[in-house]
Amino acid sequence: MAVRISSKAGQGGPAAGSFARRHLLNGDIVFRLVVAASAALTIGLIGLMVFDSVQAAWPAFQTFGLGFVTGIRWSPSFTIYGALPFIYGTLLTSVIALLLAVPIAVLIALLVTEFLPPQIGRPVAIVVDLLAAVPSVVWGLWGLLVLVPFIRPIEHGVADGPGRLIPFLGPPTPGPSYFVAGVVVAVMIIPIVAALTREVFATTPRLQREAVLALGGTRWDVIRRVVLPIGRTGLLAAVLLGLGRAIGETIAVTMVIGNAPKIGGSIFSPGFTLASVIANEFNEATEPLHAESLVGLGVVLLVIAIVINGAGVAVRRRFERSAGRGR
Amino acid sequence: MAAEYGALLTPTSSGRRFKANLVVVLAVAATAIALVPLASVFLFLITRAVGVLGPDFLLQDPPGDLSAAGGGIRNAIAGTLEMTALATLIAAPLGILIAIFDTEVGGRLATGTRFFIDVMVALPSIVIGIFVYSLIVVAQGHFSGFAGSVALAAIMLPVIVVSTEEMLRLIPRPISEGARALGLSRWRTYASVFLPTAVSGIFTGLLLAVSRAIGETAPLLFTALGNNFFSTDMNEPMQGLPLLIYRNALNSAFPAARDRAMGAALVLVLIVLAFNLLGRWLVSRRKPGRSTGR
Repeated sequence: MAVRISSKAGQGGPAAGSFARRHLLNGDIVFRLVVAASAALTIGLIGLMVFDSVQAAWPAFQTFGLGFVTGIRWSPSFTIYGALPFIYGTLLTSVIALLLAVPIAVLIALLVTEFLPPQIGRPVAIVVDLLAAVPSVVWGLWGLLVLVPFIRPIEHGVADGPGRLIPFLGPPTPGPSYFVAGVVVAVMIIPIVAALTREVFATTPRLQREAVLALGGTRWDVIRRVVLPIGRTGLLAAVLLGLGRAIGETIAVTMVIGNAPKIGGSIFSPGFTLASVIANEFNEATEPLHAESLVGLGVVLLVIAIVINGAGVAVRRRFERSAGRGR
Repeated sequence: MAAEYGALLTPTSSGRRFKANLVVVLAVAATAIALVPLASVFLFLITRAVGVLGPDFLLQDPPGDLSAAGGGIRNAIAGTLEMTALATLIAAPLGILIAIFDTEVGGRLATGTRFFIDVMVALPSIVIGIFVYSLIVVAQGHFSGFAGSVALAAIMLPVIVVSTEEMLRLIPRPISEGARALGLSRWRTYASVFLPTAVSGIFTGLLLAVSRAIGETAPLLFTALGNNFFSTDMNEPMQGLPLLIYRNALNSAFPAARDRAMGAALVLVLIVLAFNLLGRWLVSRRKPGRSTGR
């Protein structure tokens, strides 16, 4: 692509004027302008939306300063708005989701790429992918009507038994909780992390696998000595991108987290995440500062999401470059 | 591959063989665990929602009161299809043009847009809802199906850009060189050679983007808002299936609302799966032997 062959070489001279005229006549300048304009338009529009939102949230930032992020009290009736309970809820549910989803997703990826022949592995991968096709609101409905009744007795048993002695596992256990939300989010990010991890494992150089096998290694040796070390960076990217998705998950979480605007002392307490409190309160926010603070939560969520996903994308680029060199 | 490696698998110690087998067992168990929710959600929908479905459920509008029995979800089905169609009309041309910009113009600018698109993939859908609210709903002074469509388009756009770019990059070099040799201008090359070559892949990306957007609730909450009657006016608030499911599910203490939510959920899942499987089927037909991407 580096060498540009003039489209009508041999006809006209190389003079700049005729070059421009030729390209203007065949429409290439218009073509380039149109594609560049559509890219610029989109970036501009999104930029405008971000600017509008930050502007809309500004009064909240101005009123509370740094206290908007560190405040532990969110009380519309007292017009006090601190985001910490929601930041805590977002991080807690995401960590629970990652702890559950990452081991399962990595094992699925291993099964599909390392243990199963492609004829069986591909259908398994497609079925796992179907988890991602079920809409968030349907997972929420399932969480509300199936998962919460199923988990409530388990939460109860843990909280009233060993949980009394272990921090973060104590009562009360009303049902909807950080933990249930974490489980639902885990179900939703398993296919994402599994698909990304599968791609990572699939790029492992064949020669190195065969070298381990030739030395008498087992499949586990191949995984431990070759697949995992080579895929380490890619795996990190998959986890970061999964985390990014977990943090923004809204509707399913809103339906099963119990909607309590405080920092719950147990993972079985009801709470709120940044996304779910916005979903739950925005339409009812008649008081201006309430609405402004909710938009402010959106800005906080946006910043967290961009940092985590930016890191994920950067790490994945790095892995792709190193994988490209390795082959 | 299993057959080729079989002869080489002669572990020297039983401990290592045990570990190797343990990992297989764990991997199978993990996959089984992951599929439990999938089986459970389908079982739940089939056993408890099929009874709700019927011609009336699909062809009538809901009663204004969530707790009242009867009525259907016609307005929500129509609203979802209308908003998704308009969103596709907005996102598809823009997405394809941006993908062309990235592959054709290249350089620093394209790296910039590509990073931007990567970030956009990651935008929480509720944040997109707030953005569109600040930009369109506030400016217009009212909620509208149009605002909902814009929010859905913002969800679809990065999916379309990424898949189109991938397809354009897969175009074999000889085809691109052939177009140059014929003296085609660049726009002609795209219009008559590249896009037709990549059309099935681009269409697949579109279908997957649509199947993602159709199920989204969060971007519609503050944009389309929802209503209780049939409407084709994109300038008015508009109901969507996910919105209807969400609002009825929150009132699932009422049997009528719970049934309506479950029936609508089944309809939504069937619509999403139809688009999703159609897209996947096209993928598998296009490049046989290669694993299907998400």
